[in-house]
Amino acid sequence: MQKNLSPMIVNRSENGPFMKEPDFERALSKRTAELVKQYGLKFNPQTPIPSDDDMADRLYQAGVDLFVELGVFNQTTERRILFTREEVEDLMGMVRNKVVLGVGKDAVVMRHREVEGSTPAVVLSGPTGTPCSEKNHPLILLSCAQEPLVDMLGAGSVSTYMGNPIIPGSPLEILGARRDAAVARDAVRKAGRPGMHISDVAMPLTCQGKMAAVDPDFGLRRSDAFLVSQMVELKTSYDQLSRAAYLQGIGMHIVDLMTPLIGGLGGGAEGTAVVTIACHILGVVLYAASYHMMSHTHMRWVNNTDRMGLWMQSIVGQALSRNTPIPALNDIYCVSGAGAEELLWEVAAGAVAGTPSGMNMQGAGCTGGFKTDHTTGLEARFIAEVSHACLGITRQEANELVVELLSHYEKTFNEPNRGMPFPEVYDENTVEPKEIWLEKYNKVRDAVIKMGLDLDGGWRKVKHG
Amino acid sequence: MANIRDEIREGLRDALTNGDSERSEKLTYNALEQGVLPLDLIQQVIVPTLTKIGQDFQDFAIFLPELMASGDTAEKVTAILEEVMVSSGQNFSSLGIVVIGTVENDVHDIGKNIVSTLLRSHGFKVIDLGRDVAPSAFLDAAQKEKADIIAMSSLMTTTRPSTRSTINLFTEVNQRGQYKFIIGGGCITQDWANEIGADGYAPDAASAVELCKSMMEVI
Repeated sequence: MQKNLSPMIVNRSENGPFMKEPDFERALSKRTAELVKQYGLKFNPQTPIPSDDDMADRLYQAGVDLFVELGVFNQTTERRILFTREEVEDLMGMVRNKVVLGVGKDAVVMRHREVEGSTPAVVLSGPTGTPCSEKNHPLILLSCAQEPLVDMLGAGSVSTYMGNPIIPGSPLEILGARRDAAVARDAVRKAGRPGMHISDVAMPLTCQGKMAAVDPDFGLRRSDAFLVSQMVELKTSYDQLSRAAYLQGIGMHIVDLMTPLIGGLGGGAEGTAVVTIACHILGVVLYAASYHMMSHTHMRWVNNTDRMGLWMQSIVGQALSRNTPIPALNDIYCVSGAGAEELLWEVAAGAVAGTPSGMNMQGAGCTGGFKTDHTTGLEARFIAEVSHACLGITRQEANELVVELLSHYEKTFNEPNRGMPFPEVYDENTVEPKEIWLEKYNKVRDAVIKMGLDLDGGWRKVKHG
Repeated sequence: MANIRDEIREGLRDALTNGDSERSEKLTYNALEQGVLPLDLIQQVIVPTLTKIGQDFQDFAIFLPELMASGDTAEKVTAILEEVMVSSGQNFSSLGIVVIGTVENDVHDIGKNIVSTLLRSHGFKVIDLGRDVAPSAFLDAAQKEKADIIAMSSLMTTTRPSTRSTINLFTEVNQRGQYKFIIGGGCITQDWANEIGADGYAPDAASAVELCKSMMEVI
């Protein structure tokens, strides 16, 4: 099969079965529910980190079935893009199991990770999913880029340009995209890591806005990446496919962004997990993604650190790890914000859940995206420390840890602690965490060490062997 | 006029909850044959059942597929009752007319779809304009449909300003006072609603229904 599938994808987009979008959604919901039953998938809230290899494999098969039977809905043509099982198997088999991200001394290799294996996770951080102000955005990015255990930077999103709201499709979107890319480039330079991989400039909504951020000198380069999105669930459009075609054409990394909603069209955790497997297949087959960003959220709380979200991260990670070669990445999305103890408990649970389940790390998404500037680099440091300390633990051990970690924050979901904006928890001149934030970090860190995780030795082992 | 028998009441409640259209329609016809007034069926069975379903969805006791199935079923039943009422010369009035859409440049519509489903199932007439809706499209639809309420959804901070520009357009053409404006979505807060002069903000789908009901009381 050819590497450039665009002609075939367009052909199938134009000639695939016609379907109205609401009918596609109903069909997806119905078939997903049937597959959950058929494959005997069961979420148990007492076991957010399951150790059931067979269920992980059944989940993968359910996801393949859903993808093959339903296909992908192209919103532009209102037609389904269908692939045969053989095509899916061929394309999944051709995926690279590792990818070099960034350049020079700052490059990292994101790898396919094994369940309970010894390959360390790489850590992507930045305010992706948490809005930033123009004023604080450069400092927030620097606070993440300068963290030694953070491997890659996400440039995040600012919704104004010189105080003016950015209207998508307007010149301000172009200028804002170029500004955000330049700010991210400047952050990695200031951090002494000019070759660090930058994963997306999130603000622009249009294709031209994204393209405007490509600039080898002052913006994003071929060693960086842009997200190409899926619309919930299993939907794409010519706009998104065009982004993928452009990025593939210039040799830039493509990140497959999926945002499955727990409680949404897939139903509960089991059905949403099935949909999420199919979403990863979409990212391989339609987008030729270098890596996949799983950013599932609970429909009510807008996080994935609840029991359903953690279970989904774990079982999807295991299913992908056991059945595909892809490098998978989970976006730890939290209800709490910077400066709140609960945020550290939440990210710790996310890191413990993902590490033995085959996931690479991303985070932290803070406050469910509700509060501007409530995000810093310190929680990213904690994600990395916890993940590296977890390397090699069993899923059963992870489950025990996660259940304990949950007890520190899950009761706050209905009235979350959104924390404080960046200037209240970081010194704006030195870009170092203030005592008020460090005290909480040290308190939670000590408690996690007492739970048995070697936060001091773990990262040293990963970085120094 | 006849009282609603328990087996009809319970059966219809159960069929609506399970999204069983065939059974719901059959029970509705049975009730009508027994002389039950359409309005009684709506007020005593359909609305309370759908209110409970909406609450269950809010509490995460059921998920979107179940909500959608119940909403579709309720729509079919309501269509039957509406036809009977109209053909017998009765006035079938909705709770109000809501023009709803996801604002310009925003393609995220699942939250808006849920609100539409719940509003319809509670007896509102809903004109759903879909996603990426330009301010002028809201204006055209509001005038054409004689709307009571304009409901706008936005997920992204970059598309949020379109809620303001839509209200501003209505003000510019001297139509602002004709309608109530409500907003919701991932990036929307009460503060933003206050800032742009919206009449109401709903943090979730269930409260959007309550908000629309309260808006209709003051119209």
